[in-house]
Amino acid sequence: MLERVARATGARGGQPHPGRLETPASADPVKTFVKCFTSQGGEVVTCDPARSASEWLTDFLERLADDPPGVAAGADVPARLRPRLPEVAAARAAAGISLAWGAVGETGSLVLPSTGTRAVQLLPPVHIVWVPPGRIFARLEDALLALKRELPAAVGLHSGPSKSADIGRTVVTGVHGPGRCIAVLEPGAASNPRMTPMGDGARPKG
Amino acid sequence: MRTRISEYAARSEAFVRDEPEVREAVSGATRVFDEKRRRAYGEVDAEAWRRWAERVKNHLLTHLDDYLAEAEARLEANGARVHWAGDAAEAREIVLSLAARLPAASVVKGKSMLTEEIGLNPALERAGIEVRETDLGEYILQLLEEPPSHIVGPAIHKSLRQVRDLFAERLGTAPGSDPDDLARAARDVLRDAFMNADMGITGGNFLVAETGTVALIENEGNIRLATSLPRVHVALVGIEKLLPRMSDLAGFLQLTSRAATGQPVGTFVSLIQGPATRPGDDGPEEVHVVLVDNGRTDVLRHEHAWEALRCVRCGACLNTCPVYRQTGGHAYGWVYSGPIGSILDPGLLGLHEAMPLPFASSLCGACADACPVRIPIPELLLAWRREARQQGLTPWRDRVALAGLAAVASRPGLYRVAGRTGTRIGGTALARRLPMLGEWSRDRAPPRPSPRTFREIWREGIE
Repeated sequence: MLERVARATGARGGQPHPGRLETPASADPVKTFVKCFTSQGGEVVTCDPARSASEWLTDFLERLADDPPGVAAGADVPARLRPRLPEVAAARAAAGISLAWGAVGETGSLVLPSTGTRAVQLLPPVHIVWVPPGRIFARLEDALLALKRELPAAVGLHSGPSKSADIGRTVVTGVHGPGRCIAVLEPGAASNPRMTPMGDGARPKG
Repeated sequence: MRTRISEYAARSEAFVRDEPEVREAVSGATRVFDEKRRRAYGEVDAEAWRRWAERVKNHLLTHLDDYLAEAEARLEANGARVHWAGDAAEAREIVLSLAARLPAASVVKGKSMLTEEIGLNPALERAGIEVRETDLGEYILQLLEEPPSHIVGPAIHKSLRQVRDLFAERLGTAPGSDPDDLARAARDVLRDAFMNADMGITGGNFLVAETGTVALIENEGNIRLATSLPRVHVALVGIEKLLPRMSDLAGFLQLTSRAATGQPVGTFVSLIQGPATRPGDDGPEEVHVVLVDNGRTDVLRHEHAWEALRCVRCGACLNTCPVYRQTGGHAYGWVYSGPIGSILDPGLLGLHEAMPLPFASSLCGACADACPVRIPIPELLLAWRREARQQGLTPWRDRVALAGLAAVASRPGLYRVAGRTGTRIGGTALARRLPMLGEWSRDRAPPRPSPRTFREIWREGIE
């Protein structure tokens, strides 16, 4: 099949690659992330720096539901970022807790690697995602190029709650994935300096 | 391949006349999509993005063999298995044998036009495998046993009332349920399907050669579930969907999302490199990527049509098309409808099979202005029309009428007589019996001709 394709491309003559697409990089990627993520229905909260992350999250989750909710946390979420609440299977959890690899300002996206638990990122009705300090990239390209060096089996970009307008053009949320997607900025994350773009070693052909 | 394209004229007429609900739903939804696309283009330097994307795809298509080899090597290094399918039958056979090996009793699917193109669902069902479409729109259509009518919004031709009636009958929802209740009922059914499926099948928006990354864009989360929970994930990817490098993907994810739904990026993007083989990685044990040709190499060889292979399947040309808006996608008779279908189908199926689609356009050019990869759709329509005439595929009445027009227009004496005759019989019952003019005036009030021809007015002096 490749030979057939080679014959077809050979007839075309090679055209050069235009290089990178320059998109403007925001001077304040955190602000851009908050604006873009919330405009797509996502929610952003900042963890109270005066308290431990675990205590703060426990209170936050208890305020979300009347009964103490069962939660599920991703395999890569460290103990200090887990709430003091009963852990249950992702399919039965009221909320899933994940740790983002990073976030992207220009698209308002959380970058979730498969080294977390994918069911936790997708099955519970509420998804709470820790964003570590210093990990909000201005541009999607910057994030993908940085990620390229340590690509796991899969990565999910989540830019708000699950939604669909397939029924009568009315937007409904929580269709398959979480109906609420809450990004939690760890203390320090809200004031991190701008991430600088990473170099791209690979050169295109032609 | 069996299609209903040849019935285009009759079917589009039937939709416009007999199913006003379709026109209302399609035209409403496409106007919203189009408005969002315009707004999203306005937020960035869309012209520069589109020119860049056109050049990246042209580079890719003119080096496609190299990039396919690179993608295969990367995917295999990542632990994924790569399969090559020359045509639809081979693609179906590959998926069927993967399913038989497991063996898979049930499959969950993400929306994929390519799987529609190759007729995958009927083949799986014939093999006794339960297939569940999981995109909400696709699920509605699967219950109705209808194909999708739009690349991005497969069920945009269905009204809320129709979905309400369908779910009341099939899922037992209350008669007056609102869209939230209806979506919840569908989710409950589909959640069980996700939890129990042996295999997830998706298409692929892009495949990055440099990293072996299959990229999928969506809003519901069903594709993320279908590629995360089942033990095996199979992605069917058209060979033209490749991108050279990861940095290209960043631009294409954003441009495609803006063109399709006006979003900065789809709510969920899956970037899949392979199976979860390393410690700490979570996901399917097996990932298979089926690279499908099915006519694409023929299109690549075509002098003009190869530019259609830049298509990223965003549906922007459908949304802005005044012809598509009247009928929706089903009138076109095959998987790819609207302006892109009218130039892609002749390449994939052969011009004879795709007639009269190159003529199903007013050539207004709105599609070319909307296209994120600047496919010159009107020019390609004209190229196919020229070929159709050369091959004698146009209706004989059109050929005779156009030859007659050419003969009259190139002979001043004859033109004068014809002009005078036209002023006499135009608007009369006789005119309505003439070919072309009769058809044109069937649904329109015929224009009342001027009592004097232009030549007469000119001779007497224009006041």
